[in-house]
Amino acid sequence: MQPAIRLLVLASLAVAPLIQTNTYWQHVFGVALIGAILALGLQLLVGMAGLLSLGQAAFYGIGAYISAALTMRFGVPFILAFLIAGVVTAITSLLLVPIVKLPSSSLAVATLGFNIIVYLILLNEDWATGGSFGLLDVPPPHIFGYELTTERDVYFLCLAVLVLVYLGLDRLVHSRFGRALRAISQDEDAARACGISIIRYKSKCFLVAAFTAGLAGSLYAHHARYLNPNDFTFNKSIEILIMVVVGGLGSLPGAVMGAIVIVLMPEFLRSSGELRLILFGFLVVVLMGVSRGGLAGLAPLLTQRMARLRSSASAKSAEPGEIKS
Amino acid sequence: MSADQLVQGLIGGLAIGCIYSLIALGITIIIRATEILHFAQGEIMMIGAMAGLSALWMVDLPFVLVLIVGMLGGGLAAVLIELSIYRTLRKLRVPLINVIIATLGVSIILQNVARLVWGSEPLRYPPLFRSRGVEIGGFAVSPQLIWIVVLGFAMMALLQLFFRYTRLGIAMQAAAQDPDAARLMGVSVKRTTTYTFVVAGVMAGAAGVLLGSLFFASFNMGFLIGIKAFVAATLGGLGSLSGAMLGGLAFGLIETFSGVLISTAYKDAVGMVVLIAILLLAPSGIFIRPGRRI
Amino acid sequence: MTALLRTKQLTCRFGGLIAVSNVDLSVEAGDVHGLIGPNGAGKTTFLNLVSGHIRQTSGTIHFNGQNLGSKSPHLRAAAGIRRTFQNLRLFREMTAIENVMVGLHANTRSDVFPSLLRTGAQRQEEKEIADRAREALDFVGLLPSANAIAGGLPYGHQRLLEIARALVAKPKLMLADEPAAGLNGAEARELVGLIQRIQASGVTVMLVEHHMEVVMRACNHITVLNYGRKLADGSPADIRDHSGVIEAYLGTKTVYARHCRRNPAEAQYAPH
Ligand SMILES: Nc1ncnc2c1ncn2[C@@H]1O[C@H](COP(=O)(O)OP(=O)(O)OP(=O)(O)O)[C@@H](O)[C@H]1O
Ligand SMILES: [Mg+2]
Repeated sequence: MQPAIRLLVLASLAVAPLIQTNTYWQHVFGVALIGAILALGLQLLVGMAGLLSLGQAAFYGIGAYISAALTMRFGVPFILAFLIAGVVTAITSLLLVPIVKLPSSSLAVATLGFNIIVYLILLNEDWATGGSFGLLDVPPPHIFGYELTTERDVYFLCLAVLVLVYLGLDRLVHSRFGRALRAISQDEDAARACGISIIRYKSKCFLVAAFTAGLAGSLYAHHARYLNPNDFTFNKSIEILIMVVVGGLGSLPGAVMGAIVIVLMPEFLRSSGELRLILFGFLVVVLMGVSRGGLAGLAPLLTQRMARLRSSASAKSAEPGEIKS
Repeated sequence: MSADQLVQGLIGGLAIGCIYSLIALGITIIIRATEILHFAQGEIMMIGAMAGLSALWMVDLPFVLVLIVGMLGGGLAAVLIELSIYRTLRKLRVPLINVIIATLGVSIILQNVARLVWGSEPLRYPPLFRSRGVEIGGFAVSPQLIWIVVLGFAMMALLQLFFRYTRLGIAMQAAAQDPDAARLMGVSVKRTTTYTFVVAGVMAGAAGVLLGSLFFASFNMGFLIGIKAFVAATLGGLGSLSGAMLGGLAFGLIETFSGVLISTAYKDAVGMVVLIAILLLAPSGIFIRPGRRI
Repeated sequence: MTALLRTKQLTCRFGGLIAVSNVDLSVEAGDVHGLIGPNGAGKTTFLNLVSGHIRQTSGTIHFNGQNLGSKSPHLRAAAGIRRTFQNLRLFREMTAIENVMVGLHANTRSDVFPSLLRTGAQRQEEKEIADRAREALDFVGLLPSANAIAGGLPYGHQRLLEIARALVAKPKLMLADEPAAGLNGAEARELVGLIQRIQASGVTVMLVEHHMEVVMRACNHITVLNYGRKLADGSPADIRDHSGVIEAYLGTKTVYARHCRRNPAEAQYAPH
């Protein structure tokens, strides 16, 4: 059942830009996939390790600006810039090592502070980042001699990265590393008694999450082809957190679904004009009320309901038969 | 730094600090009573600012009455949200993180409702004070700032009195500290929780009028201020009233002086660095609570 | 025989309260060493000091000939000190077998990269982890519940699961904090058998327990703490006859009975 659903999601993601040929929508779909990569990274932090981070957009921004600068100023090929963006972003996450041991609410505020600091650097260091004007004309991605100029091509690049990130995180979650993270989130003292170094594992978790955010940032830079510090404020961090919780804490498929819903919902609500964001806020509140496990928790809830309906229906239809025999 | 800059910075920092403190106090009492990180507190402040401004448009009121209208606006918004949304979520027994994300949803709703009602342009408060400066010890100081500091401190003093001497205030404190024991004493924790949101809303509404009169009112004025108030509350140790108050004042002063001394561009960053440093030195804020037992 | 664990003048203060006071104690390799005393005597605190979850105020702890100093708990676990907790500390949302697999953390290596690449060594190790975890579950008799969520297991099984999580790593020393709390008579007798099998497998055990029957039958050596101080030390027979112990601890029959019948709910939610 589970793998079948996953294949179904993958298949529909693969055909989406083939069915919807409008380039605006294809662009939005690409943004949704990048959001999914970001949400997957944050899921590792929040859903697995229980680390409430409100600074994920900082890493996203660092990755985006590094990748743009490398390709624009130094003529580094896209693939290399993409990987370097991930690695360097991961390294910057080491700045957070001193604060990983903070209790949850303090950690949330401290990572938020980190996000604000990074945003101010992106905004004020014009010489490197273009300041509030941003960076214009970021080149489109080049891969093995091909230039991905259409929205559809870039979409497939994003999809490929999303699949790789998903598979990678899925492996991590089901390994010694993932078990250690979940152990920490459930009982730190017991985890230490099992030989787990809390600070080391929390730091590693930030490292992996920052790496994925850096990759997402690089994709975003070459997808949007224009960077502005305002894309990387803590509002974005909060949006990513909403994706993860709406999708369902602790579920990787949930993170992907959450991101897609959070990016696409405002677009679908566009026809409702001024009410759009009000409706959006309302839907977030309602979803938080109806399903403890977010969207990922909604699916089993619905199948349960369906099964119950079906069994009661079949019970009713069976009754006359029983009477006859 | 000249003596004049010092005095201006002190008064300006205290004024903005009072505003942070008022919001941080609300955030803190909500955390103590429900453990919810209330991300919509800044939006409640914005509603207070808008309510005060709307009243001013209708009648020419003295400042203190505008303040009271703002407080009523904030309290009303808070009680409506609490009764319609948070109470329902508590009844459904959803996990805490769901409620916290719902407060983000509420913040989005409030911002966009306000945009529908009051438009997206920043709205200037009409001048409420003589613009001529007041002389204090040979320094010209804006009377507006002085009013903000005086009223801000008065509000905080009233809150302390409320928690110390009124039946309701004491019941709220008791319910926040130990809900089970409070229930045994006949306190309705459901009701005190609702009152907690009301009191927090009233304080935020007051902050909204004070801030609006200083700059302007706009539908999106709340979020950043709310976040900064969060930082202020954390600075003082999440969960302590005097901590929230001092944290707010300290944060206002740090921000103002780093704007003067270091750079206006990075004044927010300095506040954050100070915050992170304090968290590292005293992980539970300035007021340390006893450690957990194994 | 050489002492596996030796403390000298071990002291721990909480503000004005001295929870453990100048305790000299040694645990011989291969023993089941009982640590008993009235409520609040400092037994749990003593275990916390040995496992590193709390730092001593003064005094030293030598383990296997090495001074533990201020080593952190995860390093002590890696060195072969494992423990259970008085108030059940399982990873409640993980399955039973996953709990035990986490217990092998310090004994295994593969980290981020091998897991991402699923290298041969990593897969081999995962298989070994699962096998050893299953073995440990079998040892305590929980194999049938391997895939149950830990938090949903019956109380007695949760206690056994904690023991399996500690044992799976084949520690040199296992610290067990009131494993019999909340167990019924039959379960407690089974526990004695389990402790004896643990001893036979070569693991030294330090057993904190109020359940006198379990203590007297399982331990070779007993230390009595009272108000943080060492009151007596000796074989079960010595302790049974020690007048000071009877006065301070066993006192009257009612005290003894109360400890035997501690109800599970109380034991579970008591702070330590
Ligand atoms: N973290 C702590 N902070 C302050 N005091 C503590 C702490 N841990 C234990 N104590 C105190 O130290 C004393 C010894 O407690 P400890 O838990 O070691 O006793 P115990 O012998 O395990 O008792 P019990 O049989 O009830 O488990 C008690 O008075 C307790 O209140
Ligand atoms: Mg104890």
